[in-house]
Amino acid sequence: MNEAPRRITLDEWDRRHAELWAAGLREPDYGGPLRRHVDDGDLRLLSLEMDNSAAALRLWNFLLTEEERLHRARDEGKKIVGTMKDLGTVPVMAYSLPDVVAFYPDGAWWIPCVMQRSAGLLEIADSLGLDDSFCPVRAMVGAYVNEAHFPIPELTTCSVGATCDDVSALAQRLEALGFPILWWEMPHRRRPDAEEAAVQLSGGFRAPESQIAWVQSELQRVRDALEEHTGQRLTDELLAAGIERANRVRRRLAELRRLAFTADACPMPALEMLIAEMLAIHFCSDQHETIRVLEDLLEEVENRVRSGVGVLAPQAVRVFWVNPVADLRVMNLLEDAGGRICGTEYLFCHALDPIPEDLPPMEALARMALADPMAGPSADRAERICAEARRFGAEAVVISHIPGASHCAIEAAVIGQMVRTRLALPVLEIEVPPITDSMEPTLRTRLEALIETVTERRKR
Amino acid sequence: MKTVAYNSPFVPPEWIAAHGMQPDWMRLRAAGDRSPTGMGRGVCPFAGETILAVVSGLQATAVVVTTVCDQMRRAAELIERDGQLPVFLMNVPSTWQTTAADELYVAELERLGRFFVQLGGEAPSNDKLARVMLGYDRARGALRAARAGLSARRFAEAVAGLRGGGTPASETAVGPPPAAGVPLALIGGPLPERHRGLLDLVERSGGRVVLDGTEGGERTMPLPFDREAAADDPLGELARAYFAGIPDVSRRPNDAFYQWLADQLEARQVRGILLRRYVWCDLWHAELHRLRQVSPVPVLDLDVDHEDNGSLARTAGRLEAFLEMLR
Repeated sequence: MNEAPRRITLDEWDRRHAELWAAGLREPDYGGPLRRHVDDGDLRLLSLEMDNSAAALRLWNFLLTEEERLHRARDEGKKIVGTMKDLGTVPVMAYSLPDVVAFYPDGAWWIPCVMQRSAGLLEIADSLGLDDSFCPVRAMVGAYVNEAHFPIPELTTCSVGATCDDVSALAQRLEALGFPILWWEMPHRRRPDAEEAAVQLSGGFRAPESQIAWVQSELQRVRDALEEHTGQRLTDELLAAGIERANRVRRRLAELRRLAFTADACPMPALEMLIAEMLAIHFCSDQHETIRVLEDLLEEVENRVRSGVGVLAPQAVRVFWVNPVADLRVMNLLEDAGGRICGTEYLFCHALDPIPEDLPPMEALARMALADPMAGPSADRAERICAEARRFGAEAVVISHIPGASHCAIEAAVIGQMVRTRLALPVLEIEVPPITDSMEPTLRTRLEALIETVTERRKR
Repeated sequence: MKTVAYNSPFVPPEWIAAHGMQPDWMRLRAAGDRSPTGMGRGVCPFAGETILAVVSGLQATAVVVTTVCDQMRRAAELIERDGQLPVFLMNVPSTWQTTAADELYVAELERLGRFFVQLGGEAPSNDKLARVMLGYDRARGALRAARAGLSARRFAEAVAGLRGGGTPASETAVGPPPAAGVPLALIGGPLPERHRGLLDLVERSGGRVVLDGTEGGERTMPLPFDREAAADDPLGELARAYFAGIPDVSRRPNDAFYQWLADQLEARQVRGILLRRYVWCDLWHAELHRLRQVSPVPVLDLDVDHEDNGSLARTAGRLEAFLEMLR
């Protein structure tokens, strides 16, 4: 059932789903009309406009059934590992073992948005003294305490050191509340000294060899804990196969991003692309299905690019976006204002890069972990943002602050200045709380002003 | 003599001094509304003041900051970008229960030593390092012994003096006897020199800080050195005394901080705790609720933001009410 690509509301999806079914759509077991998620409390869907493809339907259903998948895994006797903060490394290790499912408890930061605060997680955090001066990731504490979302993992890991203080402080509170945590250290990635042996990491970063070895030793502690908690040996062979599977995800995502960010007509909305990128860090609790979901999405995008059709006006302003938004609706707002996403750095660009397959697996993982843009200087991250913005032909950069996050205030000063100096692009800084309804007019105005600025520049 | 400015208790002044340089515990000025680097909302006032102090022309040869908190880690970058001084960012592990974490701390001290040498310092022999360490150790021991006879402010000044650059400890370790008052603990983030009026305010209000658990106060003094170990492996002993000896909320896990606090509250018969924290400091803020739950004595939360930074007006009323409750 073909229909011109466009963003549609949930009401329109009701009709669209029926049409797709009538036309023979077959969905995986987690499929179905998106409306049912609203009935389950995912109220934010009522305010979003989503892509109208069957591939997007599968993506949304996959995302919104993760909690069910985790509970089913628990019922099936699989081991569940909560992997906080590292964004992309420990899940690769965990998924290398059979019958192990990993997820990011910090991913609960989107629950207040998706459920429009009806889940009460922020209120639980408030009651524990974790108010809105903390990043919305404080919702994670509420989710552990009320056990109404994800099952409590058998093993929870958390990377600390060169990480944000919010997650570190919140995870410490969780441990004090009786949820044991395996802490592992992520050192600040520093630039190698003149005479020091160094390694080139993905993203163009460099690090001393000694730091790679050190991170490797920390990941070995994680490996030991995984073996102990699952009763299985995590051999190099299993790790190598796990890395190969993770790379399959990353390759598909890389192609998806390339097409979505460079096609003349934007073939996939920002919202679906954001969710697709998130799949790369923990596979939404099913690595194999992640690959299939991305393949569907890629096929849809390829078809649209071949046909020269897109979801936005062809003259949409090309925007590079920095940091994920706590309120998904803001991605719609950007497009409503006349923008399109052409490049992103959602805090985990290292999880999109291929993991070296020609190295011993633990060293490859250590290199990947140390390539985390948040582990090193903000200037490194800014360099990567500039390079990617140039590569994708961005005409403006939006730095989206996460309210309360320890890294945002200072790093934005570094990133913003470098973008202005190197690329001479307009930079807009905004702050996005979990629900932006009350400030939507302001946000909309600021995004429109950015778009107008670029439109005027085009005329020169 | 070349001066090295620093603001973290995890940087041993002995290590700076042993390289023939003068340690200088950084003094800060109020940032107020000034924001020379274009920083936005959410910057910890202490980190902001540190940036401002350095980029405004701090008199020093170099600056050392640490990774103990995320904001200071990132502040190092702005200091380097906008200031005129060489900056060393010392990686202090958050974890502490592994040999690897100990080794990383030692490796960072060694790297810091190479930085000093590049600045014109001289790598110390083991004998020299041990000598310098024991000199500091004696001074700290003397100060600990004198603590009960000093006012809280005098004691805080003396501790800062030992870290370098402030009033010499020998001059501050004498002074008026401490006022009688409700014994309190002051814990939390750094208490810069210009904020030490809080200690006087406590005494004027009928209390007395008998336990200084601020960052830079006695909580963050290193363990006494083992003389034999200092002679055999001075750098190893230096690292042990600092890395293993400072109970901080930033450590993961941070149980050692709570154990230290429980021991000290009992030993000093503390009747109330003042938690002084900077807004946007997640590390201390997150502990407030837990502290209230586990503390055997009441806790008063004193948050410090950009606007009232340095002003005691808002604090005075709350402090008086707190002390009235304790009397």
